[in-house]
Amino acid sequence: MMKTILVTILALFSICGLTNAQESYAYFSWDINQPLSNTNWINSSSTRGAKFGFRKFIGEERRISAGLDFNWNYFREYKPTETFQSGTGATTTDYFNDIGQIALTANGQYYFPLGNKEHFFPYVGVGLGANRNNYTMSYNIYKDQETAWGFLARPEAGILVRVSSRRRLGLLAAVHYDYSTNKSVQYGYNGFSTIGFQVGAVLIQW
Amino acid sequence: MKRIIVLVAVLALWGCQPEDDTSRLLDDLVVSTNYDTGIDFSDYSTYSIATDTIGFVSNRAPNDTILVESDDHFPRPVLQAVQQNLSALGYTKVGKNDDPDWRINVYVVNDFNISQQVVYPNYYYPSYYGYGSGYGSYYGYPYVNTYTSNTGSLVVEILDLRNVTADNKVKVIWSAYMGDVYSTIDLIKQSEDAINQAFAQSPYIQK
Repeated sequence: MMKTILVTILALFSICGLTNAQESYAYFSWDINQPLSNTNWINSSSTRGAKFGFRKFIGEERRISAGLDFNWNYFREYKPTETFQSGTGATTTDYFNDIGQIALTANGQYYFPLGNKEHFFPYVGVGLGANRNNYTMSYNIYKDQETAWGFLARPEAGILVRVSSRRRLGLLAAVHYDYSTNKSVQYGYNGFSTIGFQVGAVLIQW
Repeated sequence: MKRIIVLVAVLALWGCQPEDDTSRLLDDLVVSTNYDTGIDFSDYSTYSIATDTIGFVSNRAPNDTILVESDDHFPRPVLQAVQQNLSALGYTKVGKNDDPDWRINVYVVNDFNISQQVVYPNYYYPSYYGYGSGYGSYYGYPYVNTYTSNTGSLVVEILDLRNVTADNKVKVIWSAYMGDVYSTIDLIKQSEDAINQAFAQSPYIQK
């Protein structure tokens, strides 16, 4: 998985380099997510997540942008000892449920510039892409695992803040809702949805 | 503002690394039991069991087939825990020649694996020409990574001696698998607790 992350980071930064002369920005965010589906399996918020992306403005006035986002999240929940009954017996253990998630989306945003249109850029957007979930149940030294790919849709609302006209640094904060079609028969997922909040640092190019 | 940006970047980096807190899962053995649903366990009364030895099945040491109390202080407390549970449930221990209803088998299954992987270090070409023959290159020597894993389960079985088949086969009517015994923090206590749990989750074993 680390290899996938590194390759994607390099690809996105290559795009940043190629489009250096365009009005654009790249960001790196801390991403907190709360699962909304099958919360019996995992209901704990994930603070172990990050998202980065590149967005390029299209046309005049910085009203519309398009770009790519890549993110990863780790969800983990400890389950105290319980006994699982089966037809011919039972198993007792405590365990961890984990979901390791990576996702890539192509996305578009519409901005509502405020004030002098130089510092505050609230926006709404939507991303479409693919999502991979790695469902793992760990007990003692043993693991059961299932991996599922799915289609991902991500509506998002946020704000881009440029620190000052002289600096190319900024902040980005956003809330997003992720819905993906990842199924896991073994662990009872028909799809996987989360609500997330991200806050990050931005490199601005204009 | 610069500090806030740095703080946010650090938080984002912190989000990259998952926390590894799985060691708490080693505090207790996983206990899995299975039984023959066609058996009425209350129809049986007596059992026999070894006193100081338990079986040992290993791919590492195929010649070692038993663990003896005098060599290893593991067998006796394990066997006593099984006996205490069966006595508390109303069953009577008898000698193996006293026509017991059940034979209790206790053994450890050890799976020892060694795997190896040949690693070829990355090679690179220098970014300049004119060195040596023109295209300098460097290859690292391949080396071998060796991985080992050693896992094991403690197994307790109840064999039905009352219904031996014509070709002298004995049916296992209840089994308990408890693992991993090679990753325990306190092997004997965790094994005793696991045996108690195995009987606790098998309420159909009752005289």
